[in-house]
Amino acid sequence: MSVLEVDGLTKKFGGLVAVDDFSFEVDEGEIVGLIGPNGSGKSTVFNCIMGSYGVTDGSIRFNGSDITDDSTHEVVNKGLSRVSQESNPIDSMSVAGNIKLFTLPNSIVSLRGGASEEEIYDYAARIDIAEHLHEMPDELPHADVRRLEIAKSLATEPEMMLLDEPFAGMNQAEITELADQIERFREQGMSMVVVDHNMGGLMDLVDRIVVLNNGDFLAEGTPEEIAENEQVQEAYLAGEGL
Amino acid sequence: MSSETDTGRSISGRVSGAAGRFGGAAVDGLSTVTEPVDRALRPIANVYNRTLGGYFGEMNGLQLVLLVGSFLGLVTIPFWGNYTLVQATWLACIWGIFAMSWDIQSGYTGYISFGHSVLSGGAAYTTAMLLNNVNAELPMRITIPISVLVALIIGLAIALPSLRLSGPYFSLITFVAVLIFYRLIRPLSEYTGGETGLGGIETVFSTDPVMRTYAFMIPMLLIAAALLIVARSNIGLILVAIRENESAVEAAGINATKFKIWSFVLSSIPMGIGGVLLAHRFGTVTPGAFVVVDNSIEMIAMAVVGGMGSILGPLGGAFLVIMLEDVVLSGFESEIKWSILWLIVLLILVFARDGLFRKLWHGLDRLGGDRR
Repeated sequence: MSVLEVDGLTKKFGGLVAVDDFSFEVDEGEIVGLIGPNGSGKSTVFNCIMGSYGVTDGSIRFNGSDITDDSTHEVVNKGLSRVSQESNPIDSMSVAGNIKLFTLPNSIVSLRGGASEEEIYDYAARIDIAEHLHEMPDELPHADVRRLEIAKSLATEPEMMLLDEPFAGMNQAEITELADQIERFREQGMSMVVVDHNMGGLMDLVDRIVVLNNGDFLAEGTPEEIAENEQVQEAYLAGEGL
Repeated sequence: MSSETDTGRSISGRVSGAAGRFGGAAVDGLSTVTEPVDRALRPIANVYNRTLGGYFGEMNGLQLVLLVGSFLGLVTIPFWGNYTLVQATWLACIWGIFAMSWDIQSGYTGYISFGHSVLSGGAAYTTAMLLNNVNAELPMRITIPISVLVALIIGLAIALPSLRLSGPYFSLITFVAVLIFYRLIRPLSEYTGGETGLGGIETVFSTDPVMRTYAFMIPMLLIAAALLIVARSNIGLILVAIRENESAVEAAGINATKFKIWSFVLSSIPMGIGGVLLAHRFGTVTPGAFVVVDNSIEMIAMAVVGGMGSILGPLGGAFLVIMLEDVVLSGFESEIKWSILWLIVLLILVFARDGLFRKLWHGLDRLGGDRR
């Protein structure tokens, strides 16, 4: 059964068509890779799903309910969470505080509440940053800042995560480690969409790849099929390699 | 010490770390004296930390001395202060309410309001107009709730359309709101009394300076306690997060707009109470003393001097500014006095941007012994 259904998504900025009639689906427990050359509209698709951008046309459904016009916090509370490309922790709060913020209830009269110490520890442990809980975000190495973003996302108890270039700026050892952790999330029942502009980190991780080019659907298939797809190779020839 | 306290500190304790690094040799020398004092008082501070610390924030022995000392000094002022000081205290209590109210909205969310005097002015004018245009015999139990409600309505009228905007637009709208209010007073002078304002407001306990002091101080203390509880709760955490990174708040599944409007509600109600107190302090409401945009800027100055985003900092800032204005510099003529005051504010902005009371607080944190 499809958890996420994007149907005929179109996003225009003035005269510029960033995403044009794009459709894809994600099944329960599946990891889908969404790739495309730089500027092909991958992040725009995420922004539309998360309610950061208004949608020009088309519809987005999550767990059967229409989320096309929902705002970001509504989408998050329905069980969809995004790990954005930019790391933007709140520098005046510790790692634990940053995670706690993501567990607070959306209620103006709730003075206490949110996750307990143990729960915050658990979220951090799931992505191996539990030993940094009392540190400040700007004291962490890059890879751990990226992991903090994932811990924050986990703290919203999502059914599905959208990961936007999770491997950016990481070395090969860190990429392998993170890919293993993401694989573990899948075993725990999480569905995921992973955006990347090349296939390096995705080959062994994803079940299926959807290719976006100039805002348009280009191809779909297993990682092996996509690696051999001539259209995809052509689209990437202009820019960097696959 | 329990791990719970550790996290509580580390969640909000960043600034103290930064202040700690400032310290230097002088502080190290001083701390040989202050550490034993802190250690001696620590058991009392810990009793407080265990019981009320979760609601108001934790502190060490030295910080407890500062707070309890200030509190006792304040509530006994009518018994040891001269009349000039006592009079200044009345005003300082009211401006303290304004500065704290401004802080829970602007200081915490970072959406800076340049127009908070429209809220206090609205409440004060409501009291005056009810007495002058409706019935001079209306009791305070009628006029006060209505006046506070009007402040809340004005607050929501500003907040609802403007808080969705970002950047300078919100600040500009608040600023323009004061200008409109101020300009409308004269054309509507039939009801507002124009430039000379409206009198006939009962000045409470005007013959009993002791009771009069408490009439202003008790509301101030209650508002301070209420705002502190909110500021140290999840709500304060979310408001600070809005200031630091609004998109992260949305990504956390929290409706940032709802919380921004809520901060305006939390601010408008005490602003209304302060406005009503100010009306009952002077007995006359005039545009110059109650609405003019300078008032809004003075609230900001007090909050910045004390340390915005801390509730107690702006309260201390209000007392400092009013005491300078009405006691220390009272010999100078008004223009000179205000030039000196604004120069002091400017110096604090340049050299102690985090605010004097925040610096003092973190200084005491450093001067005390290690918590563990």
